Amino acid sequence: MMKDHIVSAYDAQLELVNSNLIKMGGLVEDQLRNSLQSLSNKDTSFAEQIIFDDHKINALEKEIDALTYKIIAMRQPLANDLRVVLSALSISNDLERMGDHATNIAKRVANVKINLPDAPTIEIVKMGEDVQFMIKQVLDSFVKKSDKLAIKAWDSDVNIDDSYLNIYRELLETMAGNPDTITGCSHLLSIAKNIERIGDYVQNIAEDIHFIVTGQALERKSEKRINWEEINQ
Amino acid sequence: MNKIKISAKNIDVFYGDKQALFDVSMDMYEKEVTALIGPSGCGKSTFLRCINRMNDVIDICSVKGNVSIDGHDIYDKSIRVESLRESVGMVFQKPNPFPKSIYENIAYGPRIHGIANSKTDLDEIVETSLQKAALFDEVKDRLHQPGTGLSGGQQQRLCIARAISVNPEIILMDEPCSALDPIATAKIEDLMSELKKEFTIIIVTHSMQQAARVSKNTGFFHLGKLIEVDSTDTIFSNPGNQKTQDYITGRFG
Ligand SMILES: Nc1ncnc2c1ncn2[C@@H]1O[C@H](COP(=O)(O)OP(=O)(O)OP(=O)(O)O)[C@@H](O)[C@H]1O
Ligand SMILES: [Mg+2]
Repeated sequence: MMKDHIVSAYDAQLELVNSNLIKMGGLVEDQLRNSLQSLSNKDTSFAEQIIFDDHKINALEKEIDALTYKIIAMRQPLANDLRVVLSALSISNDLERMGDHATNIAKRVANVKINLPDAPTIEIVKMGEDVQFMIKQVLDSFVKKSDKLAIKAWDSDVNIDDSYLNIYRELLETMAGNPDTITGCSHLLSIAKNIERIGDYVQNIAEDIHFIVTGQALERKSEKRINWEEINQ
Repeated sequence: MNKIKISAKNIDVFYGDKQALFDVSMDMYEKEVTALIGPSGCGKSTFLRCINRMNDVIDICSVKGNVSIDGHDIYDKSIRVESLRESVGMVFQKPNPFPKSIYENIAYGPRIHGIANSKTDLDEIVETSLQKAALFDEVKDRLHQPGTGLSGGQQQRLCIARAISVNPEIILMDEPCSALDPIATAKIEDLMSELKKEFTIIIVTHSMQQAARVSKNTGFFHLGKLIEVDSTDTIFSNPGNQKTQDYITGRFG
């Protein structure tokens, strides 16, 4: 456990950064879960609600920004404190982007004119659930300040990239087989891309958490990378 | 990394029965700034005073261990303490100009050390020392007025000019900025980055930010022990010792 600062108001400020990040992470989790649900159920009015809710995440990011600037100006944090404060800025920025991607999914669901084909939708929702699990893992690693859990979350992204590749292939085939599905499938492709990007942001956050805990950059390579050559064949 | 200029080995210091330093070993490098940090009473000033044998003048103080400069043991019988102090200058927490003119404050050292006697030589030393201490332009029209009439920051730079007037190789600074405002502090820090081109500087400071700004290496003392010494970058970003981290992040208690 970290000892308290001599100045207790400093601890209170850092704790507020911490709790705001956790709150923000929870909201992002909600947004993704909800947008996946709206996608499964083709629930346009729910999707509208999700789009509206995005502002909560943006507001929290601004709050965290303001707080970290204040801490830097007032306290000149050093060592582990400095890493926490700098990483908080980058984590909140990543969470905000994740929120945008989740909202983008809802935006497509909300557009009643788009007819989204069922079979690939199911695959995409499954992939989304895997990403949701990654978000959970990475938030958990943040709460527990565990570099090992952060690495676990980071490593999970390989599966997401795999699923994305499969979905990409499947959508190409569907479109080639039936040109009527092209509009729907290309929207689904964007949705899959949104989800895949969220996975990438989880990796960024995992790297930040590793840095906070160990003071070292996470040097890690994915075992697999999407092989676009293979797709183009 | 520059060559080792000062090497302290297994230093124990006692004030009477009370031990103030415990087995301190530390190397300090030529033409670099080394910072010493640590809570009040941890022995920073005591350690600094070992480097120019200022502890000799404290009756109850005894020093064990070895300090060498350029490989020569400074506690050796053959060493003349006067010439040691000539090559190891010191600047204190509170500016302490002599109650004499600005000119005399600087000319005094070179004169008694026999470095210069003629007026033209002394004039030149006074001017270049003031130049190096970044004070000349501010005082050139009042060299014969009292040094004590200068502002605190100017007085401290006068003390630095006085220290460098006898061509030292090493300058020890014991909290040189603690009585100064932020602008005067910035001037001294700026000056240090010039001075280190010519001198080896050891600075004791209570400001983490100052240590981080001016020094290349930093040593952290606690209860008379040197806990950790490393590059300043490492000490302030990712120190190896938990005590160091607790101290620099304000968690000491
Ligand atoms: N002349 C002295 N006589 C007796 N004890 C002394 C003397 N000078 C220092 N000490 C003791 O030696 C210990 C180290 O003191 P020192 O002045 O080196 O600490 P410091 O790290 O420079 O503290 P500060 O940051 O307050 O200047 C302290 O316990 C102090 O009381
Ligand atoms: Mg002291």
